[in-house]
Amino acid sequence: MKFQPEGSATERPLVSVVDDDESVRESLPDLLREFGYATRTFSSAEEFLASDCVGQTRCLILDIAIPGMTGPELQQELIRRRQAIPTIFITANRDKTVRSRLLEQGAAECLFKPFSDTALLEALNAALRTN
Amino acid sequence: MKFADGGPCGLRLPRRPRNMQPQLEHPHDEIKRLRRCNNDLVSVLALPAMWVGGEPSLILHTLLDALLGMIRLDLVYVRLTDPMSEAPIETARVSQSLRLTAGPLEIGEVLNQWFGRDTQKWPPLARKPIGEGDLSVMPLRLGLHGEIGVLVAGSQRADFPCQTERLLLSVAANQASIGLQEARLLSEQRRVASELDQRVAQRTIELAQTNEELRNEIADRGRAEEALRESEQSLRLILDGIAGLVAIMNATGEVEVVNRQASEYFGKTPEEMKGWATSDAVHPDDLPGVMSAWMHSVETVSPYDVDHRLRRADGVYRWFRARGLPLRDNEGRALRWYVLLTDIDDRRRAEEALQASERELRVIINTVPALAWSARPDGSAEFFNQHYLAYVGLPLEQLQGSGWTVAVHPDDLGALIAAWQSMMAAGKAGEVEGRLRRFDGEYRWFLFRTNPMLDESGNILKWYGTNADIHDRKRAEEQLRRSEAFLTEGQKLSRIGNFSWLVATDDIKWSDQLYRIFEFELGVPVTFELIGSRVHPEDLPLLYDMIEKAQRGVSNFEYEHRLLMPDRSIKYLHLIGHGTRDREGRQEYIGAVQDVTQRRFSEEALGKARSELANMARVTSLGVLTASIAHEVNQPLSGIVTNASTCLRMLSADPPNVDGARETARRTIRDGNRASDVITRLRTLYSKKDLSPESMDLNEATREVTSLSLSELQSKRVILRHELADDLPPVIGDRVQLQQVILNLLRNASDAMSGVDDRPRELLIRTECDEGDRVRLSVKDAGVGFTPQAADKLFEAFFTTKSDGMGIGLSISRSIIEAHRGRLWATANDGPGATFAFSIPCRRESLADAETRVN
Repeated sequence: MKFQPEGSATERPLVSVVDDDESVRESLPDLLREFGYATRTFSSAEEFLASDCVGQTRCLILDIAIPGMTGPELQQELIRRRQAIPTIFITANRDKTVRSRLLEQGAAECLFKPFSDTALLEALNAALRTN
Repeated sequence: MKFADGGPCGLRLPRRPRNMQPQLEHPHDEIKRLRRCNNDLVSVLALPAMWVGGEPSLILHTLLDALLGMIRLDLVYVRLTDPMSEAPIETARVSQSLRLTAGPLEIGEVLNQWFGRDTQKWPPLARKPIGEGDLSVMPLRLGLHGEIGVLVAGSQRADFPCQTERLLLSVAANQASIGLQEARLLSEQRRVASELDQRVAQRTIELAQTNEELRNEIADRGRAEEALRESEQSLRLILDGIAGLVAIMNATGEVEVVNRQASEYFGKTPEEMKGWATSDAVHPDDLPGVMSAWMHSVETVSPYDVDHRLRRADGVYRWFRARGLPLRDNEGRALRWYVLLTDIDDRRRAEEALQASERELRVIINTVPALAWSARPDGSAEFFNQHYLAYVGLPLEQLQGSGWTVAVHPDDLGALIAAWQSMMAAGKAGEVEGRLRRFDGEYRWFLFRTNPMLDESGNILKWYGTNADIHDRKRAEEQLRRSEAFLTEGQKLSRIGNFSWLVATDDIKWSDQLYRIFEFELGVPVTFELIGSRVHPEDLPLLYDMIEKAQRGVSNFEYEHRLLMPDRSIKYLHLIGHGTRDREGRQEYIGAVQDVTQRRFSEEALGKARSELANMARVTSLGVLTASIAHEVNQPLSGIVTNASTCLRMLSADPPNVDGARETARRTIRDGNRASDVITRLRTLYSKKDLSPESMDLNEATREVTSLSLSELQSKRVILRHELADDLPPVIGDRVQLQQVILNLLRNASDAMSGVDDRPRELLIRTECDEGDRVRLSVKDAGVGFTPQAADKLFEAFFTTKSDGMGIGLSISRSIIEAHRGRLWATANDGPGATFAFSIPCRRESLADAETRVN
């Protein structure tokens, strides 16, 4: 059974991943493709901002602790630029206060690593629905 | 003074006396006056006739009387220079109206004052004040140049002398000169004649004496010859009567005559003695000295005086004093020697004995280990022994009298003198302490002891004294006093009381402090019942145990027990007893009891605080570590879960994406290994639970900490740089504890930069070799830094600038570093931020230290 994401059937929606951890950048794209999304990975916020994907990205999977500009800062920067993207934060620090603060500030979801494929899929569906 | 000089009245219309006024007087009066003048002149001219053959004094007296009779004079004075004597002859007449009681000598002195001593320089006329009026004085020289003397006429009248008076006086002076000169010649003739007579008489007497002497001499010669004959006999008698041996020897030393005593002593007849040399009997030991003295006397023909021994007839040697006198001829050669040998053997022996005993006494006085001295009854010092002189380093002469006081300490001198005076006043032995200066300037304490030496009637003949050095004793006394005072203070301060316990009689003595510890009234008799009433009931067995041990005679015991005080409070005591024997050999315990209540309470409080603090530190650092560990483990786990999920999805796809599944499975394995690595690292970090120090690489330990903290630091946008020295020597330390310190420093640095947005949040961690075989680790941040006020408190517990901090991290870090014999400190950076660093000994030094300790 081929899983079809909601939205466009002809063009796969783009999900961008920003994480300094290489294993995440390696493993997530395959799973996202299995979910039916197009995907691009970046190791830092600056790299993502400099790319041509900002406008096309339908959902952003963003690590909180990345060198340089942090995940939440990138989110705020995009809001400032009026290019807000539905964002799923991921973090290895299981800090619930951080999670709730991020959700208040408009994050679609905040997942603690390691997270299951279904949790990610639900988050993606929720994020794209809000859009 | 102004001279009232009237001038010569006759030449300038002189004012005349009232009864002599030529211009106004009647011619008859004038005739009368002139006639009288004539008469006077005749009288004066007649004077020499009266003087013929007279003495100068007679001449003077008649002259003066005549002048007074002729002229109204108030003063007539004559001074004759006497060629035979220094003193002049002076005569004077004074009128009653002058009211002068002075004699000739005084008048002469007044004239000298007026006119000087040299009469030849006296003025011809002068007016001088005398008494209430004036006196006209007219000196007239006697002799052509005044060589005979001077005649002075004086009158109170202002017109004196008028012409006739002047004439009369001049004539009288001339007449007197002639008369006196004649008298002088005459007396000279008389003197010469009498001197001649005297010389003849003298010579006659001398001749008569000479005659007498000659006669006497002739008589004496006769007597002398007789006497000589007698004296030769009496010489024999005298010689034999002399209490000594007498020998008369010729110039070569051969005996001519000896007295009876000599021949008896040597056991030879006088005949045998003749020609015998006394040197035969001289003691061989004395012979060289005797011979040299004898040869010297013979050569110089001078007396000789030698002490030597002579052998008696029975062979016994006795000491003699030999005195030899030479009889010289006209040319000074010795004709004979008269030798007297006095037996001084007994005296010599007595002297020797005396000297020996004096020597002995001196040796004793100089060897007694005290400064000895003697003083006269008045207290003035006389003698000081050698020790005394050597001690003060002054010569005897300087100490004698009251000179010894210079060596007494100025502060002690007053009391010393007072004591010495009261001893002398009482005439009794006494003693006083004082400091005496040693030759090198050091003062030492001495006990001055004096003793009077009394005669039979109790009068003091002499004072004897000894000064004994009591410096060390005095010092010891002072020290004892001091240490007793210290002990009392110390006992009070340290809450230590002392006790003694005579086991046989249960006689227990307590120090005051022990009473205070037990809170019993001072001086209450101490019994075991009394002690038992205070000892905590649970600790009473300890008391019984102690009594039982003491009765067995154990040497030492030590207890910690409690007291239950009347107010139910508890006191902790530490008791130590040491067994000994008293003078009668009975078992006795001497001990100390310390009130350790406060110490016990503080120890308990401190221990509690310590464990609380340590626990808190562990919790804190565990929290930090847990977060780090979670992060480090969650990263690979995240990869594993994602990959495994993807793998499953690929395999369940239709058709299955086997290649993709294989790739994701491979990644799963890789991330699993990564997670395993993290766990291994954590195990390394925590497996070293053992707190014993080990040799370790500080760089490696640092890397472990930073790799665990990296994600946390990154999340706080801290840029971490390492500058770890390549050649860092190993250190000895507790790995976990040191890593806890490093972690704490990193967290502090990171927290200090949390509010920094205007500059990079740079954190530099550096290791390097420090001086003195030490290794230094520093953590430099670009944070808010610290104020100078905070600098002092940084390492205090519970001091923090962080809103969520406990303030114990640095305090614990410092105690860890200090336990590693290291140092932890903070410095403000030149730019923003602060640098925290610690320095600990590296292994080289530690090993060296360990070796030193072993040795």
